[in-house]
Order: sequence, then structure tokens, then C-alpha cells
Amino acid sequence: MKMVKIGSGSAFWGDMLEPALELAERADVKYIGFDHLAELTMALLNRIKLKDPQKGYVPDIVPWMKRLLPIAMPKGIKLITNAGGANPLQAAEEVKKIISELGLGPAKIGVVFGDDILPHINEIRAKGWKFKNLDTGEEDIDRIEDEIVAANAYIGADLIVNELKEGVDIVITGRVSDNALYVGPLMYEFGWDFSDKYTDLIAAAITVGHIIECAACVTGGMSNMWKVAERPWEVGFPIAEVYENGEAVITKTPGSGGIVNEWTVKEHLIYEVMDPANYIMPDGIADFTSVKIHEEGRNRVRVTNMKGKPRPETLKVCIGYRDGFIGEGWVFFPWPDALEKAKWAERWVRERFKRTGVQFEELRIDYVGINMLHGEVAPVEDKDYNEIGLRIAAKTKTREEAEAVRREATHLWNTGPLGTSFGVPLKVRPVIALWPSLVPREAVKTESRTLEVK
Amino acid sequence: MPKVLLKELAFARSGDKGDVSNIGIMAKSGSIYKFLLSVITPEKIKEHFKGMVKGDVEIYPMPNIESIEVVLRQALGGGATSTLRFDQTGKSMCTALLRMEVEVSEDLLREAREVDRKIKQKYGERR
Repeated sequence: MKMVKIGSGSAFWGDMLEPALELAERADVKYIGFDHLAELTMALLNRIKLKDPQKGYVPDIVPWMKRLLPIAMPKGIKLITNAGGANPLQAAEEVKKIISELGLGPAKIGVVFGDDILPHINEIRAKGWKFKNLDTGEEDIDRIEDEIVAANAYIGADLIVNELKEGVDIVITGRVSDNALYVGPLMYEFGWDFSDKYTDLIAAAITVGHIIECAACVTGGMSNMWKVAERPWEVGFPIAEVYENGEAVITKTPGSGGIVNEWTVKEHLIYEVMDPANYIMPDGIADFTSVKIHEEGRNRVRVTNMKGKPRPETLKVCIGYRDGFIGEGWVFFPWPDALEKAKWAERWVRERFKRTGVQFEELRIDYVGINMLHGEVAPVEDKDYNEIGLRIAAKTKTREEAEAVRREATHLWNTGPLGTSFGVPLKVRPVIALWPSLVPREAVKTESRTLEVK
Repeated sequence: MPKVLLKELAFARSGDKGDVSNIGIMAKSGSIYKFLLSVITPEKIKEHFKGMVKGDVEIYPMPNIESIEVVLRQALGGGATSTLRFDQTGKSMCTALLRMEVEVSEDLLREAREVDRKIKQKYGERR
């Protein structure tokens, strides 16, 4: 039975390069997918592109491709990346330059774009679509319409498949779903399309894509197995050996560190999922409640029995909008009486805010070492701690107010209890808030192009 | 029956989708899974998180992998980029849930500890 090996080379903008190089060097994969985009990365990249129309892609693509292409291209390994971000065409131009400079041509680059619906929002609304907020239930984007800075649909694998049919060596995309980076090559290799007879197989590809798309998160990263992962500093990125019947074996680069076992696959199957019977992706709806997981050998887990439903009529869209600022400050208190000092400082800050009249929308004060992570769920022990930090964060309407909040924390440097310690002050940050919604599939005009390098 | 923390009986992992925190609970055995399904309710989870979860809590059973998917709405202070929480993406929410107290039979507790022991033995020796 035909089998295709596909690896995951990145989970986010800023991921490690070495495990991706190892995948290309010694894992015998035919494809490597690279996800570089988080929910609001597009808003950030859009802002960069506004300042400089030649930018707006994930800049990592340049150093990464310089290292990866000389290994991948001679072996015929195809790279599928969403590092195109807000400017996939320019990213492709940069990769063209690299291919020429390194003398790796002739080559073909596929570019997939059209996920950016910001220019079309009004037109889509004029037809009666309201962009209901999936988190809050708000029916319409009226309230934020003047503050919107990005609106990107999560597009599917169809144009990745088309570009692979053109024989490209690399596919560079905008905001395709992370998942489609894997579904695309599998559909192409096995000749699947969106007709009913392939629905379960595409669901299998979605499931496999979901399992490996966060790279080290299924090979011992962020894991319940962290104590038993081998040489975690040499963690291997995951590989799926996918069969024509939809079954797959999840493994990792031979000789690498980390761990793949039934638990690491389970913990990724349940990761960031809403209703597990309906995992909705642009290419189909996978049912994670049918999947069977079987550890068949060391660092090898077989996944079978994937089922699903046809792709939905709507696509998810992430709308980013300006929503004020956050000012934040940290101070730390040493033994003796660290907790008492922190409480003293909290009162001090609150009184100072009253005195100076700083306005904020929301204020949060955490005791670092006590409740910063578990909040109200964390029990507080009555003991003399070695050290406790105080984290003061506030959301404000204006940058000036956020600065005032940040500054107030710095005043504790001189007026706090004995031993009050501080590091380098944090910068005020603008908030781009997320408005998750849906958009009709036909309203998103996706396009692809094949570029040739001599 | 002994009172234990959920940590003894299950693994867990959490992430985010906007302002939604999702927590997967993986029971350490099939019988523990059935037991957990009978004692873990949306109401109990919401109560456990005190003020941290503002919206509804939903529970989805996954018998195929003996796991429970928990969806907590309006649980991350507005979502990754707007929240004032240090843990912007709710990665630590799973461990907060593992603090939940449950009353469990000696047998199931023994079963869970046996799974822990086997994991340590099977994979630990490779390090």
C-alpha cells in the first residue's frame, strides 16, 4: 500500500531550526510542513506591511530557507509553509533570490493567497453577513468597525494541491489553516478530492495534521511525559507515515530526543479542541471520538479508524482590532516577610492609583510564586517564603494611562519595603484584540500562482 | 474512600481558542475514565475554578481514548492578546484543574499508581 512520510518543521514563529534541519537530513520524509502563524500573527504582519509594502511575511523564512533548501531540494523534499503571512508574494520573491544565490535552480515556487478579506469586509457586510463573534455571541461588528486592523480567513488545502500538481518545490501561503499544510500534500499524493467518497480519508488527513502540526508538542514538549522524555534538548520533530487507507504511524526523526508514545499522541489529539466529534477545518470535519491509538513500538504510535464529515460552507475568520493598551510592572520581595511585603506593596499601589487618578479599564495584581498561574484556585500557605513577586498589570484606553500604570510600579523601587528588587522595566504594549467569526466560503477569493526560478 | 487530587488519576493538557480554555483530561485507565465521567460535571468544574471562568463549561466524553474534553468559555480574561493574565494562552489551566479533589476507591487509586509506575519503568529507563 502506498505510504507517504510527512514531517512537521515548525509550530510557531520563533520555533527551533535544528530539529527541522534534522528532519530534512535524516528522516526520509517527502514533505515538511511549517506553521509560523498564531491567531493574531496576521495583525502584527499586516502592521509591518503597512509601514513597508516589501515586508509582512514572517522574516524567519529567509534564514530558514537558506539552511533548509540546500538539504531539501537535492533530495526532492517539498516544503509547505505559511510563512508568507500578510505578504506571500514578497516572501516568494525572497525565496527566489535564495534559490538563485545558492544555485539550486531551476525550481518552482507555488504561492497561495487571498485569505486577507480586510479589503472586502464592507462588501460582504453589504450582502447581509454580520460577522457574529464566536466567543461573546455579539451579533455584529458595528462596535469595532473603525478599529479593525486585520481580517484573515483560514483557507484550506485546495490551492496547495493545485500548486503541487504544477510540480513546485515549495509552497508559500498566507493564512491557510495550520492543518491544510498537511492535508494538501496528502490529498495530492493519494489523489483525493472533496467528493463524498474521500470524506473519511480527508478527515484522516485532518486528524494526522492536527496530531503533528505543533511540532515538538507531540514528541515530548509541553507534555505529561516530560520526566521520561529522552535528551529533551535534542527533541525530534514529528513525522507521520500516512497510508493510502488513511491509517498513519506517528513517529519522530531517527536518533532524536524527546518521546512519542500513546500519551503524547493522546495529549495532542485533545489539544485545543472544542467539540471533539466535530473538529472543524476548512477541508472537512474530523471526528476525534472514533480514532484508535495504539503504541506499536518504541516512538511509534499507530492511529486508525478516522471518520468525518464534508467540509463546511463557512470558513473561520480572525478579525483583529485595536483595543487600548496594557501597562505592566514587576517588583520582587525577599525573605523575611516576603508575602507581607507584597501585600503592603499591593495596598501602596492601589492607594497611589487613587491619589494620582490613573484611569484603567481593568486592573490585575498577581503574587508571583503564589497565585499568578492558578489564580483563585491556588491555596495560599501561611509560611515565611524565600521570595514573592508582585505583578501589576492594567488595561487602559490610552498609551499615556498605561505608561502611568507602569511608572507607578517603578516608584516602589525607592519606596517599597526593605529589599524590594526590580529588573528592567517592561514596555507598554498596544492591544490587538481578537474577534473570531465565520465568513461564507464563496466570499473568500483565494488565488495561487507558480513562480519559476532559472 | 480516600480523597485525592485529580492529578493522581489523570493526565491533562490545556490550550486556547480565543477566550476559550480547553482542557483535555486523560484518565490513567478505562475504569478510571468511567469513574471520572460520573463525578466530573460542568457545575463542579466551574465551581472549582471559582471566579476564573466567567462563561459556560461543556464536557465532551471521548471513550475511544478514555479522555474527557472540557471547554471553558470566557475563561482567559478576554483571550491571548487582550488578557491581563501572565499565562495568556491558558497552558497552566490543566494543572489548576488537576488540583480538584475527588473521592475515589482504593482499587482505582491503586490502578492509577500502577500506571504511573509502569510509565516510569517503561520509558524512564531509556533516559
